[in-house]
Amino acid sequence: MAAPGWTQSLRFRLLAATLVALLLALALAGLLLAGLFREHVTRQFSRTLTAQLDQVTARLEFDAAGQPQIDPTALTDPRWSRPLSGLYWQVDGVGSTAQAGRLRSRSLWDATLALPSDALADGVVHVHETAGPGGAPLLVVERTVKRDDTAAAPWRLMVAADLRDTAAAVQRFNGELAASLGLLLLLLCAAALAQVVVGLAPLRALQRALARIRGGQAQRLEGRFPNEVQPLIDDFNSVLERNADVVARARTQAGNLAHAIKTPLSALAQAAASARQHPEATTELAALVEEQVGTARRQVDWHLARARAAAAQGVPGARVALQPVVAGLQRVMQRVHAERHLALTSDALAPELAFAGELQDLQEMLGNLLDNACKWARSEVRVSGALVLLNSRPRLRIHVDDDGPGISAEARNAVMARGARLDESVPGSGLGLAIVNELVGLYGGHIALQASPCGGLRVEVDLPSA
Amino acid sequence: MRVLLVEDEPTLRAQLRAGLQEAGYVVDTADNGRDAQHLGENEPFDAVVLDLGLPVLDGLSVLKRWREASHTVPVLILTARDSWHEKVAGIDAGADDYLAKPFHMEELLARLRALIRRAQGLASPLLQCGALALDTRSGRVTLAGQPVTLTSHEFKLLAYLMHRPGKVVSRTELTEHLYAQDFDRDSNTIEVFIGRLRRKLPTDAIETVRGMGYRLTAGT
Repeated sequence: MAAPGWTQSLRFRLLAATLVALLLALALAGLLLAGLFREHVTRQFSRTLTAQLDQVTARLEFDAAGQPQIDPTALTDPRWSRPLSGLYWQVDGVGSTAQAGRLRSRSLWDATLALPSDALADGVVHVHETAGPGGAPLLVVERTVKRDDTAAAPWRLMVAADLRDTAAAVQRFNGELAASLGLLLLLLCAAALAQVVVGLAPLRALQRALARIRGGQAQRLEGRFPNEVQPLIDDFNSVLERNADVVARARTQAGNLAHAIKTPLSALAQAAASARQHPEATTELAALVEEQVGTARRQVDWHLARARAAAAQGVPGARVALQPVVAGLQRVMQRVHAERHLALTSDALAPELAFAGELQDLQEMLGNLLDNACKWARSEVRVSGALVLLNSRPRLRIHVDDDGPGISAEARNAVMARGARLDESVPGSGLGLAIVNELVGLYGGHIALQASPCGGLRVEVDLPSA
Repeated sequence: MRVLLVEDEPTLRAQLRAGLQEAGYVVDTADNGRDAQHLGENEPFDAVVLDLGLPVLDGLSVLKRWREASHTVPVLILTARDSWHEKVAGIDAGADDYLAKPFHMEELLARLRALIRRAQGLASPLLQCGALALDTRSGRVTLAGQPVTLTSHEFKLLAYLMHRPGKVVSRTELTEHLYAQDFDRDSNTIEVFIGRLRRKLPTDAIETVRGMGYRLTAGT
């Protein structure tokens, strides 16, 4: 596994994502605001200039020769008369009277505004950008006027102002905007950091709680956690509890097994000691060893089966189809009981017949039942299954029938007991039915011994259905 | 009958070997899966007793490899793993029978006898060929109801032929199945024992098929 880098950190991921989003949003906002401001300033500037043009137009008069006249004293703004003040007006002749700079404001001094010639309708205002005195960028608004009564030559009347002040204002605004957005970014980043630190605080608390469990100082995750995390904590605690439960049960079982084995072991030790003293009594020794080994084996079998059952119970979601399990066990029985030439049959077991639990446990239950049936049957062992409703819950009901001698009603309770063997003529440990009983009980199922329609014993098992 | 015994635990292996030899089997042993696989593939055995938990290669894998290579020798699994889940896995891997440890030697022998018999298509434990009868359970041989006394080697030879009534069995096959791998097979002991058997049985019971071997017949 690669070393957990920064990219594996939840905090890093959250912060990186926030930073990227903030940068994008602020950059877009900055561009938009700068654009809007520049547009607004330009519009305002040209509006003011148009007003100036209107003022100049109002002062325009024509003499008897049809030549334009403007009285400079009638224009109040002092910038008109201060040389190179940045505010200028000029009147050009058009057509037959073409003459650039026929009349000019005093502020233009000896310069002339040069505009591209464009034919304009009477009275329409046109905007240009051009270079003025000293190469200064100018915004020019112009309109073409004529004396109203005659078909006299038209005149271009223009007013210009220096753009540098406006550009400086836009630049100043952009600088301030960038500084403000930068500050905003810093504040937002700090807020995001605080959010991540506060938001992830429960995880650190969880880490500490887990460390306490690992260190053996606590048995469960302690403390209150936010609503979003608490269900996880509760689940985790229940897993811990179940785990502790399983460990406790395993300890008990290991202890039980050890104690159960101790008895045959001490009997064997006794026998060995006595054999040392009486070497001639070997027949007795052999019988005793066999008997005690048998006892030990039964104990081991019993506790192994219980351990398997205890470890598997309540596994959620496990679904085991009945038919393949029965078929597999029948193959085993055909081999193991080959000498008995039995007919092993099973009714058509539908695919929906399934056990809600572990495969091994179903095999263990049915294996023991079939093995018992095969030991006792005369010629036939039959397995059938059905879905039944018990307390309105679907249950898997399995019948194992044989045509053997059967068990009388009185004796049926006794055979369920661990180690009980009604007939010693058939080999076995006497644990089969008891193990099945234990497993069925652990799954909340039910087992019953009945008389079989085949003539022998019927074992009926109800198990949770999947 | 020649049996391969695969068991890694030395004490149990020695005990089993002694028990099997006492019951009249010729026994070869292996203490790990790889040797077992090799022996099973190259030597003609009448049955195999196979432990599952073996070093190098586990018993179930050995069994699967034999079956994949179409070796049909009967296999009895002998193991401490006795859950039904493992029994199903063993039988489905190609085992013919399954016995859980600890076990009684008598049960192992009974199951082994049955396996060998069934492998030859014989259903009854009482093998008969004309007036000659061999009870595999007790190891008693009778001729027209009268007991026949045989030495251990004579019995092994007759039992092998009785498991294959009417079939021609070559001298090589008899040598391979009646002696362990390390036996000096160049001797003519088979002919010596055939001769001795013929003196104790009806003269035409064991027929010599020239150039091919011997055949047990129902006699006249």
